Amino acid sequence: MTPRRKVPAAAVLVPAAVLGLAAYRARAALTPFLLAAAFAYILDPVAVFFEAKGLRRLPVIAAGYALSLALTAALYFALKPLAVEQGRHLIDRAPAYARALQTYAGAAEGTLVRRLPLPARVSRKFLDDAVSAALARLQNAPALLLGAVPLLAHAVLVPFIGFFFLKDAPKAFDSAIQALPSRYVEQAIHLASEIDRALGNYLRGLIVVAVAIGTATFLGLTLLGVDNALAISALCAVTSVVPYMGVVAGIIVGGAMALMQFGTFAAVAKVLLLFLGIRLADEILLQPVVARHSVHLHPMVNLLALIVGGETFGFLGLVFAVPVACVLKALLAVGWSWYASESGLKSGAAGACEAVPYT
Amino acid sequence: MSPLRLLKRLFADPALSRRRQFLRSLELFEGLSSTELGELAQILHARTYKPGEVVFAEGDVGRALFILESGSVALTRRGAGGAEEPLHTVQPGEFFGEMALLESQPRTATATAAETSRLHLLYRAKLETLLQSHPRVGVAVMGHLARLLSARLRRANAAAPK
Repeated sequence: MTPRRKVPAAAVLVPAAVLGLAAYRARAALTPFLLAAAFAYILDPVAVFFEAKGLRRLPVIAAGYALSLALTAALYFALKPLAVEQGRHLIDRAPAYARALQTYAGAAEGTLVRRLPLPARVSRKFLDDAVSAALARLQNAPALLLGAVPLLAHAVLVPFIGFFFLKDAPKAFDSAIQALPSRYVEQAIHLASEIDRALGNYLRGLIVVAVAIGTATFLGLTLLGVDNALAISALCAVTSVVPYMGVVAGIIVGGAMALMQFGTFAAVAKVLLLFLGIRLADEILLQPVVARHSVHLHPMVNLLALIVGGETFGFLGLVFAVPVACVLKALLAVGWSWYASESGLKSGAAGACEAVPYT
Repeated sequence: MSPLRLLKRLFADPALSRRRQFLRSLELFEGLSSTELGELAQILHARTYKPGEVVFAEGDVGRALFILESGSVALTRRGAGGAEEPLHTVQPGEFFGEMALLESQPRTATATAAETSRLHLLYRAKLETLLQSHPRVGVAVMGHLARLLSARLRRANAAAPK
């Protein structure tokens, strides 16, 4: 038997820390590769499905790309007239929206100044300060949204790199397994399987949720007669990859659009109800299916992950915060299970019937 | 060449056919359809072990079942004096480490490749994922494992002093 050699922790931790630091420094260059890896990871089960039917991976991926290209072109031509019409409508009505917003803001300020139990001059100053503070905060919003713009520039690069990830990832994984010291193969694949189980369903679920929220928003806003339903639903679908953000973006943008268009609170309330309905439907109908087999994170952990991710890596950090938290939870679970078994904390007793003789 | 043959040549995966053929020959997967064997082949991990390489050691937490495709694997256990005592030599088509599919407990023996050996690893996590989509596969595999355990218990009972 090969003697067990003890590997010093520093031999693993120091290279890992150096690699982590290098990846952080080069994060801008690594972004398309990270997105391509996520893209390939999400689509991999489709390739595996056809592989299990006896088909070779490469022709399946090539056929999938050709089909996706055709579908994208069809979708582009189908939605182009609507997008152009809605864009033109938005440009035409922009001055009217601005006027409506100004009128509404003036009226709201007048009402508030009258109702606040303060002298008019103090109330006006208080409101001006509040509006200035809100505007200052709003100034950050374009910067955050602009952080997502370079990601759109990867629209071609990501599928291109993703093709190679899809094609070669299984071979690379097999090579890595072959290169690992034999003693650690069993545990290493176990760890990879646990991470895959935790992460795969979450990431694939995101796509389902994004499509569902986008479609529901488009249908709902169209029924309510709100302008630019297509653009708002696209925004909701894209931002829904960040937990809670899709619905929040829908309420803010859809509500503002309804207010400018109809000038009544009843219209805003209808939009608010629509998005609350979408959120509830997501929670009751979609999440139980989507999150059934993935790691469940406490909402506070979700929030903490989002804050840390957003502060450290901007928009991309918001997108990947929860998946990274899922991976960390899976690592902790595997580590704990290993420690509990090695230290004898887990007895492995089958239950009360264990003592009954085999008959 | 006919268009159908050309398509088959382009798209059909001969490696999967071979793996399916191998899996079909195993008692563990008896009664599974060709599609189910294809699904199963996708969740197996294969690795070639050189002679003398340790597959797992006594005391390691068991995570996977190992199916031997070619070569041979020696199972040994540490004796009272600390020396390795041979238990069994696994031959192609046989499997070992099956308890890992039922519970994550320390291994009771050491497995070492006696010659260049091709092994397939089946993990509980992967098998559970497959069970959710193809319950019939799980029933077949778990049913066979239960019969195997039952046979071993019967043998142990018969060997135990009365």
